[in-house]
Amino acid sequence: MESGRRHPNYVKIWVWLLGLMAAGLVATLTPGGHAIGIIVIFATATAKALLVALNYMHLRFEPRLICVIALVPVVFALILAIALFPDFVFRR
Amino acid sequence: MSTSVEAPAIPGMPAGKVGVWWFLASEIMMFGGLIASYMVFRLGSSGWHEASAHVSVALGAVNTLILLTSSLTVVQAFAAAERENAPALRLFLGLTILGGLGFLGIKAIEYTTEIRAGFTPGAGIFWSFYYTMTGLHALHVLAGIVLNAILFLAARVRTPRRVELAGLYWHFVDVVWIFLFPLLYLS
Amino acid sequence: MNQARAGTITAEAVEHHAARGFWRTYVFSTDHKMIAKQYLTLGLAWTFVGGLLAAVMRWQLAWPDTAVPGWGEIGPEVYNMLVTMHGTIMVFFVAMPILLGAFGNFLIPLMIGTRDMAFPRLNMLSVWTFALASLVLFVSFFVPGGAASAGWTGYPPLSARPAYTGVNWGLNLWILAQALEFAAFLMGGVNYLTTAIILRAPGMTFLRVPMVVWQQITAAALFLLSVGPLIAGAVMLLLDRTIGTSFYAPEVGGDPLLWQHLFWFFGHPEVYVVLLPALGAVLEVLPVFSRKPLFGYRWIVGATIVAGGLSFIVWAHHMFISGMDPRLAMPFSITTILISVPFAYIVFAMIATLWRGSIRFATPMLFALGFLAMFIMGGLTGIFNGSAPSDIYVSRTYFVVAHFHYTLFSAVFFGGFAGFYFWFPKMFGRILSEPLGKLHFWLTLVFFNVTFFPLHHIGLAGMVRRIANPLQYEALVPYQWINVVSTVGTFCMVATQLVFALNVVWSLVAGRRAPTNPWEANTLEWAAPSPPPHLNWGPALPTVYCGPYEYSLPEAREDYLPQNLDPARAR
Repeated sequence: MESGRRHPNYVKIWVWLLGLMAAGLVATLTPGGHAIGIIVIFATATAKALLVALNYMHLRFEPRLICVIALVPVVFALILAIALFPDFVFRR
Repeated sequence: MSTSVEAPAIPGMPAGKVGVWWFLASEIMMFGGLIASYMVFRLGSSGWHEASAHVSVALGAVNTLILLTSSLTVVQAFAAAERENAPALRLFLGLTILGGLGFLGIKAIEYTTEIRAGFTPGAGIFWSFYYTMTGLHALHVLAGIVLNAILFLAARVRTPRRVELAGLYWHFVDVVWIFLFPLLYLS
Repeated sequence: MNQARAGTITAEAVEHHAARGFWRTYVFSTDHKMIAKQYLTLGLAWTFVGGLLAAVMRWQLAWPDTAVPGWGEIGPEVYNMLVTMHGTIMVFFVAMPILLGAFGNFLIPLMIGTRDMAFPRLNMLSVWTFALASLVLFVSFFVPGGAASAGWTGYPPLSARPAYTGVNWGLNLWILAQALEFAAFLMGGVNYLTTAIILRAPGMTFLRVPMVVWQQITAAALFLLSVGPLIAGAVMLLLDRTIGTSFYAPEVGGDPLLWQHLFWFFGHPEVYVVLLPALGAVLEVLPVFSRKPLFGYRWIVGATIVAGGLSFIVWAHHMFISGMDPRLAMPFSITTILISVPFAYIVFAMIATLWRGSIRFATPMLFALGFLAMFIMGGLTGIFNGSAPSDIYVSRTYFVVAHFHYTLFSAVFFGGFAGFYFWFPKMFGRILSEPLGKLHFWLTLVFFNVTFFPLHHIGLAGMVRRIANPLQYEALVPYQWINVVSTVGTFCMVATQLVFALNVVWSLVAGRRAPTNPWEANTLEWAAPSPPPHLNWGPALPTVYCGPYEYSLPEAREDYLPQNLDPARAR
């Protein structure tokens, strides 16, 4: 078993998650360009997701194969999203 | 996912964990496909901002808070299981289940309000995506609640591995919501 | 207690598990070998249905103005149903259960030297889910409105509006059956991948794993990673049909093209999900019957993984004439040409394996060679389909039908039969008749070509797919003789399978008992008894000392070297 494995400080991560969520909310409510708001929202969302994946799902401590299994579908989903741009974003 | 008599061929990789990650990979592709479709539709047309103004950012934010906190409680449950602290394990699993139920309750309130206001799934393409994405997500939350409830009801302290695996699934559901919230509520 | 992981067990444990009564042995079994046979049975049953549908279709095409015996007059709506269900059944209910479900389940634990899959109960759940999917699909034939008729590809708006096909419940059940089938194979995929990663016997490194296992787990990974977007799309389709969402309805902001992208993002990897297990079977048979090592084992592994990865970025070659953005045509043509490279390598490696080998022309080898020849032909026509400029002409014609039958039929039937004849002794403990097997091969090969080769010609002449009556087009009337030839070939090919059925039934009942290693092969399954008992191995798991393709080694006593043979004791 992995009881010898170090744990991150789960509560500290939680505080960061809440902070990022607050930052995202603030970005939508303040009237600074719409584009900047979108970037901030998705940047904080990505950061939150990474925090959860690396720390709560222990990806930081897992063997490389597990990280590959987690990463490959994200890459493929991005490829799908990008390939859909010409037909749905640029056309309309 | 039961006790192993022999060490796995690759150290540090028990069968259950490998299996759950492969399953999560397929789930990432499913939600990824949904989210990609939503994103390109949204970016490619106008008028969505108007439709999405009718969802409640406040309730969505509360739900996000609930799920983030429940991720904390479920991983604390795992830590408690590793320390073989049965009362703490049950406490944290219980809190996680409550969080999940709270999430579903708020979603029910949202759906009721929105449908009463005339925003049914057929009311427009934004609403089609909204109900489908949050509905599918809610079904996954429900499955997670059931999973956690089974672990909660098991009389003795389970091996930490089972709690960890249930936690992996729960964290995944949380991560999906982390993206659904800005996509549907904040854009 | 997880028996799969128990390295050392007692003889009593083996006996106790063996005596468990009819229901637990044959119906509610978690033994991977029994689950394999359950998948095989379901797959073979569906082959009858799929073949029957094809026979009715071909009768209609050859003689459009006549009634099909035993069926009646076929109108366009019924023809659409035949086409749809033939495709759906053959891909999802014949190819996948036989090649992945049966071969994968039976072979993976045996070949890597373990007792069962990593999750035996999940395995049982998967075959039961598949059985449920089969029931749902079967029932869809008998509901009001009949079975689904929007093509196996189910494009909206045709599939999204019941008014367009006249089929309502049939299509809903079709979607449900597919969803259940996907769930079953997702469970199976998780099982195969986990088992191969963590349950290999001592000494069985990844690069000593037989090619079948590599192909099965790559296929499992491809399926697992590609089916997600289609599940999303299918949920959207079902909701469009039932609760009035508008994902695919352009008048309310949706777009039918979205379905095509989501479908083919899965659809292309899916054809490799079907191909790779067959490739694995053939790659296993060729070295054994050439008494030569497999050529370029590591490069074949690499080529398989590269092809698998590339398969995720070629999908729009199915959509060149869909009205998608024309700027997508070139990138996808390039990636499609690229993907032919690893497959070409694998084909060359097969030929190089045969080169200067001591060829034994047993039935499995004949089917493997048949696969090689037919697959090369199918692959060559793929070049015309994969490049946008030529595909614009041949798309939606019978040229495409010929192409994918040459590749798919090679995989499912030639590759599948190669594997079936090869592993039948191990699976059932009996030997199949060689003369009947050879007859089966030659007749199938000849009639397969009679059926499908002429379709290239009629496709180029302009006969489009999915039309019930070719004679409605004056331009096709001079070519109608091709349709007749193809239909006669179909009936002969279907009749030939009786030889196979006879062989199997007779051998199961009264065939010669099989020895442990009738083909003198190296891989671990041939070290277990024929058929292997519950828990596969005796008290101890085998230990692996070498790779799987050590044939005709100068220093060895025999011309084969089993993987579990301790070199210290084999001097």
